[in-house]
Amino acid sequence: MNAMTEFADDQSIALGAPVGVTIENVAKDFGDSPALHGVSLDVHAGELVALLGPSGSGKTTLLRILAGLEAPSSGRVLFGGEDTLGLPVQDRNIGFVFQHYALFRHMTVFDNIAFGLTVRRRRDRPASAEIRRRVLHLLDLVQLSGFEKRYPAQLSGGQRQRVALARALAIEPRLLLLDEPFGALDAQVRRDLRRWLREIHDRTGHTTFFVTHDQEEALELADRIVVMSKGRIEQVGSADDIYDRPASPFVFSFIGESSLLPVEITDGTVLVDGAPSGLSFGETGTRPATLGFRPHDVTLVSDDGPAIRGRVVAERRHGARRRLELQVGPKQLRAEIDVEVEASRAIGSLVAFQPERWRIFPA
Amino acid sequence: MADVAVPSGAVFTGAATEKRAVRIALTTVALVFLAIFLLLPLVSVFYEAFRSGFGVFLKAISDRDTLAAVRLTVLVAAVSVPANLIFGLAASWAIAKYEFRGKSFLITLIDLPFSVSPVTSGLIYVLLFGAHGYLGPFLQSHGIQVIFAVPGIVLATIFVTFPFIARELIPIMQAQGTQDEEAALSLGASGWRVFFRVTLPNVKWALLYGVLLCNARAMGEFGAVSVVSGHIRGKTNTMPLQVEILYNEYSYQAAFGVASLLALLALVTLIIKTVLEWRYAEEIAATRRH
Repeated sequence: MNAMTEFADDQSIALGAPVGVTIENVAKDFGDSPALHGVSLDVHAGELVALLGPSGSGKTTLLRILAGLEAPSSGRVLFGGEDTLGLPVQDRNIGFVFQHYALFRHMTVFDNIAFGLTVRRRRDRPASAEIRRRVLHLLDLVQLSGFEKRYPAQLSGGQRQRVALARALAIEPRLLLLDEPFGALDAQVRRDLRRWLREIHDRTGHTTFFVTHDQEEALELADRIVVMSKGRIEQVGSADDIYDRPASPFVFSFIGESSLLPVEITDGTVLVDGAPSGLSFGETGTRPATLGFRPHDVTLVSDDGPAIRGRVVAERRHGARRRLELQVGPKQLRAEIDVEVEASRAIGSLVAFQPERWRIFPA
Repeated sequence: MADVAVPSGAVFTGAATEKRAVRIALTTVALVFLAIFLLLPLVSVFYEAFRSGFGVFLKAISDRDTLAAVRLTVLVAAVSVPANLIFGLAASWAIAKYEFRGKSFLITLIDLPFSVSPVTSGLIYVLLFGAHGYLGPFLQSHGIQVIFAVPGIVLATIFVTFPFIARELIPIMQAQGTQDEEAALSLGASGWRVFFRVTLPNVKWALLYGVLLCNARAMGEFGAVSVVSGHIRGKTNTMPLQVEILYNEYSYQAAFGVASLLALLALVTLIIKTVLEWRYAEEIAATRRH
């Protein structure tokens, strides 16, 4: 999957000029259950954006609204400043890639890729020699040269998804939309395709949205990540923003591994279960809050000083280190920390630790 | 296998494997049943038809009234099968691809002809279009004859064969969902192009089965057609009605001659179905799989 450098003439692949996308207050109700609550987002031309969230977060609904497969209940979507309201899906010139490929099973790979060109009105349709040239070129791009006479049922999942992408690219879309594009593939193929999609994006320059529930995929692939939950956008930012400066406990817990503990802040001290944790937070007065930290960002401290204390209830190997699952305080709050293998503790023993990096969220 | 320790006396059989004797008994019962109730009647139809020789058979089926019955039967099928093809496609499309109020009611309604006795179906049309029916006087004043004429026979046949195509299509369309259509739309295809280039090819085998079954029933329907036909020789008799008339007139040879044509139709239908399944097994499997 790395021999992508041999195509010198990429200009011939891409170019329905990529557009910027503006989403203004888009809401969607299915019956009485709202799927999106007034979502707004600005994406500039050529950007690769991940819509990341758990199932039911509204990410696929938003993608389908962009495609014109669903109509928003309210709000506007603009492509390059042009309102798309009333623009049917056929006329949007978008490339849509489905999770389960949606290849036309009775057509060969060639006919699948050529479909978007052959269904055009006669005056917009390229000559058949031109269609053939483009399809073969796209097959080359997705590294399936020689597969043009195969049927979808004769391809592996990863190959089908690459055909689906070539089919979407064939119409020279203004916008590329991918719905969980790697969701049905196994881990190794996912990793390869992910890297390969990034390369294709860099070479063709499409404005691209992809939906995923896999944070690793979003962090690795996207220029910007839109984290969604329950029909709202929780945070928009780069991988670093999302990971290091999460805007809410949801983002913090959804991205990466995390432990969240309810705490109280009293005159600059963070109290866990009423006891000083050794962490200070520059603020006067008393208020409840949520403390978040990553399992790998903690150090064990001596038992006599201020610290967070927990009893080990389970332990397991976690990569190079060992993960301890702790019960903290009489309310039996759960927290996870990673320690060196030789520093591991027996189940039932007491552990005192402090997070090295941590965040306070308003409760 | 020799290394596997099996307690002495135990016989190693698969969980779903019956004893040999049981297997033979079950198979025999099924075969005998089939032979008595299906094969024997079929053979005897042809035997009776050809008992006095091929010439007599030919003469029996080339009778003027019988030929008229054959023509009428073909005409009725030629109208009602396409009608139900269009209806079946429209109904299964609507049911499989859209959510709407009254959907389950529509599905139930499509099944109605299966559950109603064909005689009742025929009577409904007499009640509607007959001389003393709701619409009869109006139609008669405009010179339109429905009952005891070809239109009534066609209507009754359409009613009876209503479910065949829709019933074949609905499950496969539901299983396939709308993603292929959405993909085609996003690639710029118009509604009709999506239908002819994606939806129709996706269901073509199911559709063909439906048409075959629908046709067999349309040509073979007796009850409903009998009520609305009026049994006018050479005019409103279809082949099944002609068989009955000939039989009642003790023209056994001719009755079995026409009956053998109907039986032949059934055989040809079965053969086409089998050949299709065998010839396009891979494609059919690919359509179902994927």
